[in-house]
Amino acid sequence: MSQPLIDLIHISKSYDGDLILDDLNLSVKENSFVTLLGPSGCGKTTTLRIIGGFETPDTGNVIFNGEDITTLPPNKRQLNTVFQKYALFPHMNIAENIAFGLKIKGKSKSYIDDKIRYALKLVNLQGFENRSVDSLSGGQQQRIAIARAIVNEPKLLLLDEPLGALDLKLRQDMQYELIRLKNELGITFIYVTHDQEEALTMSDTIVVMNQGYIQQMGTPEQIYNEPENAFVADFIGESNIVEGTMIQDELVEIFGARFACVDKGFGTNTPVDVVIRPEDIDLVKPENGTLEGVVTHLIFKGVHYEMEVTTPNGYEWLVHSTDMFPVGQHVGIHVDPFDIQIMNKPASEDEEAVGVNE
Amino acid sequence: MNRKKKELLAFPYIIWMAGFTIIPLLMIFYYGLTDRSGSFTLENIMAIASPEHAKALALSLVLAAVSTLICLILAYPLALILRSRHIGQGSFIVFVFILPMWMNFLLRTMAWQTLLEKNGVINSILSFFHLPQLSIINTPAAIILGMVYNFLPFMVLPVYNVLAKIDDSIINAARDLGADGVQTLVRILLPLSVPGIISGITMVFVPALTTFVISNLLGGSKILLIGNVIEQEFTKGSNWNLGAGLSIVLMVFILISMTLIAKYDKNGEGTAF
Amino acid sequence: MKPLQKKLKKFFENFYLVLVLVFLYAPIAVMMVLSFNSSKSRSHWGDFTLRWYGQMFESTAIMDALYNTLLIALLSALIATVLGTAAAIGISSMKKLPKSICMGINNIPMLNSDIVTGISLMLMFIAFGISLGFKTILLAHISFNVPYVILSVMPKLKQTSRYTYEAAMDLGAGPAEAFFRVVFPDILPGVLSGFLMAFTMSLDDFIITHFTRGAGINTLSTLIYSEVRRGIQPTMYALSTVIFVTVLALLLITNFSPSRPAAAQAKKAGPGPAFQKGLLVFVSFAVVAGISYTSFLKFSSSHSNELYVYNWGEYIDEDVIRQFEEETGIHVVYDLFETNEEMYPVIEAGAIQYDVVCPSDYMIQRMAENGLLAEISWDNVPNVSNIDPTYMEWSEAFDPGNLYSVPYCWGTVGILCNAERLEELGVPIPTKWADLWDPRLSGEILMQDSVRDAFMVALKSLGYSLNSVDPAELNEAKDLLLAQKPLVQAYVVDQVRDKMLNGEAAVGVIYSGELLYLQEEAEALNLDYHLQYVLPEEGTNLWIDSWVIPWNARNKENAEAWINFLCRPDIAKKNFEYITYATPNKAAFELLDPEYQNNRDVFPDTNGLDNSEVYRYLGAEADDLYNTLWKEVKSR
Repeated sequence: MSQPLIDLIHISKSYDGDLILDDLNLSVKENSFVTLLGPSGCGKTTTLRIIGGFETPDTGNVIFNGEDITTLPPNKRQLNTVFQKYALFPHMNIAENIAFGLKIKGKSKSYIDDKIRYALKLVNLQGFENRSVDSLSGGQQQRIAIARAIVNEPKLLLLDEPLGALDLKLRQDMQYELIRLKNELGITFIYVTHDQEEALTMSDTIVVMNQGYIQQMGTPEQIYNEPENAFVADFIGESNIVEGTMIQDELVEIFGARFACVDKGFGTNTPVDVVIRPEDIDLVKPENGTLEGVVTHLIFKGVHYEMEVTTPNGYEWLVHSTDMFPVGQHVGIHVDPFDIQIMNKPASEDEEAVGVNE
Repeated sequence: MNRKKKELLAFPYIIWMAGFTIIPLLMIFYYGLTDRSGSFTLENIMAIASPEHAKALALSLVLAAVSTLICLILAYPLALILRSRHIGQGSFIVFVFILPMWMNFLLRTMAWQTLLEKNGVINSILSFFHLPQLSIINTPAAIILGMVYNFLPFMVLPVYNVLAKIDDSIINAARDLGADGVQTLVRILLPLSVPGIISGITMVFVPALTTFVISNLLGGSKILLIGNVIEQEFTKGSNWNLGAGLSIVLMVFILISMTLIAKYDKNGEGTAF
Repeated sequence: MKPLQKKLKKFFENFYLVLVLVFLYAPIAVMMVLSFNSSKSRSHWGDFTLRWYGQMFESTAIMDALYNTLLIALLSALIATVLGTAAAIGISSMKKLPKSICMGINNIPMLNSDIVTGISLMLMFIAFGISLGFKTILLAHISFNVPYVILSVMPKLKQTSRYTYEAAMDLGAGPAEAFFRVVFPDILPGVLSGFLMAFTMSLDDFIITHFTRGAGINTLSTLIYSEVRRGIQPTMYALSTVIFVTVLALLLITNFSPSRPAAAQAKKAGPGPAFQKGLLVFVSFAVVAGISYTSFLKFSSSHSNELYVYNWGEYIDEDVIRQFEEETGIHVVYDLFETNEEMYPVIEAGAIQYDVVCPSDYMIQRMAENGLLAEISWDNVPNVSNIDPTYMEWSEAFDPGNLYSVPYCWGTVGILCNAERLEELGVPIPTKWADLWDPRLSGEILMQDSVRDAFMVALKSLGYSLNSVDPAELNEAKDLLLAQKPLVQAYVVDQVRDKMLNGEAAVGVIYSGELLYLQEEAEALNLDYHLQYVLPEEGTNLWIDSWVIPWNARNKENAEAWINFLCRPDIAKKNFEYITYATPNKAAFELLDPEYQNNRDVFPDTNGLDNSEVYRYLGAEADDLYNTLWKEVKSR
């Protein structure tokens, strides 16, 4: 098992009285791909800036490789950052940009030249040495920004929404590119994004953040399939989040109907939130369903149909299915027990606000 | 499209510029290249080589260069600090540093005369504390001081504007790649602010080179700059041809310094690293 | 970064900011403090007073200058904005080549130095016979303002998409409507900032105004310049304070208070911007209307019965002008010059047609020899009989036959000594010019900043004639002046008086006419030193300033009426009491207090002036030689 490369211990940070990070603890293992995921203002970028050394936490410590680097300036840290807006130096050409960190370290010219060639090959931009920054497209600039960071052989690469400014197709290509890079280089990535798809595609570990708190941390599968609260469920993928009552272990009541589930330990007659993914809802004949409803909306999405099924209490269920049910048809709703995810109600109003703000 | 019609809008302006820019310049050339009787001569131009004119020009160049340099040295850290404070471009603090620029130029210069005179304010204060007297009035030092005081905002403004436009992430990137504060300044901020520095230099150097007011008021008429020579040819002496001839020389010098600066700018942008 | 290091860095940064602020504002603060000082001295605090503010607001010269400054700034900025905005639109639709030519020309006034721009405009105005005055300043200001407007409108035009214009046309707007409804609001910020920039450039300009101004017109800048050259009066501090506070208030209002809430409001509510726009249009109309009305008054108020007077600064009691206007109904346009050399080219060029001028002796001869003077019809000047014949005789030296000139003031040039300062330095009171080369007087000498007076001192100390044209003698004099230069504190003209009163120097070369004023002022200030006038043994310059009429005078009879009026004993007496320069008017002299009559400094014994001479005009060649040698002295 690999060692923790970086440990954030009891980190708090506030600006002008606004608490951005509240007693945050995070441990990142060597050679992992960790994504900080959350809506804007959730503190993910501040966390990254604290690791990068651009901010000093009000309290808490940053331990890197067993060493406390909380107050170390960025230029003394063995890690590098890829910035959201690329931050290439406009007065230097591509080679000069890539060579910057190495020249600061006083490396020899031949070493630097080799590294430039190697890095450009790695990001598939061979021969771009003498191009100017403005002659490059956004995607190319981003690759240069990555190349500029990795030639310094950092132990840890911080990426701050690096694909945010790119268009969809390019973004998807770059996602694979980043995974390949990570595997080839064997270094640790901490990646910040608000795009859940990006997070699910690339990460080993996803840290979902909101309002300065870590909401959930886990593998993409865990985050997607077993969201710990309504915020995570809502933020990751599409889902139906409804209020329910835990009657007893493995039995939940939703809108008056009782569903079998696999969750235990919530006590009896406890109000809970229930998450059901749209693709986990099976539409059946009315008499075979646990709940009955009417199809009120239908869109063909290519892979599947997207439907809304309105139950008598007025709730509109989002359903993804490869079977088509025309608008107006009465259907029954059936969910397999293991597809039902039970979550505790938020303990405080503060936590509840979390879900609304998204 | 009514492009032609739109072009007509520039017509009054073109007439105006012809009448009030081109013709006046031609007048200078006419006067500068003729003698009192109106026949062609290069004497007025060559007069710059005479020791008193050459000396005045050289002194003007030196004083202008020194005050430009001092302005730059004072203004750059100021602009850096203002930038690092993330003070918005329209903010009060920036405004405070530019405000004296809006005060009448002559009053600003007069203020220094009041301060620097032998029995002026500074010396009164110094003598109150039994400190040695400051006697720089009527010396080149006083003129440099006057130039720096008057033209400093012209340096602060463009340098600050350029620096304020540099994105923080560029500086963070440099720090991230291992550059310390000094290296970031030398390798990133300075090269990126070259355009602001250049326009600051021109905005200070040209008026400093050609001033006659500052040298008159703070130099006690003991120090003759090229601006004084020209002004006096027109207002005190009566050799307008000589004055015009020297003006042509001055124009050439301004052009030369501008091209030099522009050239340096180009080199600066290309080989900054 | 470590917290301590951070704090230290912050401390040094703040320290630096404060240091620069002190440098920027200390001079302004000092002027503000001095503006409330009842003592004229800059080093002693008298009492708190608002006197200088009162004097400032009462001074017609300052108020007129203020009015002119604002009027010119507004008019030139408005015209330049209209011209420049139209031009920017025109240029932006041009093809590449004409466009770059236009922008190149546009850059000329910005790249060129002000001094060259000013001179070039002056040369053109004079060459085309446009008399220098309000309108030439206005034309000049418009010319240097237009490029600023274009430079601030052009970028905005580039930003506006031509599609919005086409969309407006597509939706049924005519070209003009499309422009004013769609394009203009887009470029409005650029137009406004161009206007503001033009306005402030015009307000602050001195150099171009200096060269293009003419009779009887001053802007604040030119007024301040001539005032400062004469010696800084406390009213100037009051003016500085008022200007600074006004500028500060205006900038605060425009930059901060209303714009933010207004902008915020504009975003929220619909009626905000519409209201603002309406207000803007209204204000600009009001301003245009106001300006056109006042400028109409300004131009239309030209009197049919006028007199253009060109005189030295502070060389007449202003009451006398008013009295003259009242008694004769002639409107007087009064303008000042500082030196004869400054006056001559103005008269020679003829761009401004003065009717009556008051030059000195040698300059009168030069003007007469070059045909610049008209003979006086003595029948129109009966009061000339009041002038002591001695002075008419002296005048023959430069005006043979007394054809052109009527003496106005006369006097000597001598050395003003600060007796106590000299004692401190261990130097005896000088008795001759040669004493001004005493090395112990280093930095304590004020010399006259005019060619003839400076050379007079040197020539006389060498025992030569002050009208010498011998190159060898002149070179000797030049070397002497060069040798003296390290000892000289400053070359000044009218400032000698104030500097001596302020105890700035031990000795100063001064015109005897200043003495009475000096003696009275010294008494009023209660100085702890006394100032003494010495007529040097080697002899000195006997000077006479006389009224003459230029050949191109348009109102010659008015000019003669003016001269006749000034020769009236009561008027001459009044003038003497104001100017305190010796009057050649015998009848007036007899009316004076015996105290004045016996003041030997003011009215020296004519018998003791045997070695003294009156300046003569020496010819263009000698003039050039003097000028060249003087420049050598000044530039070394």
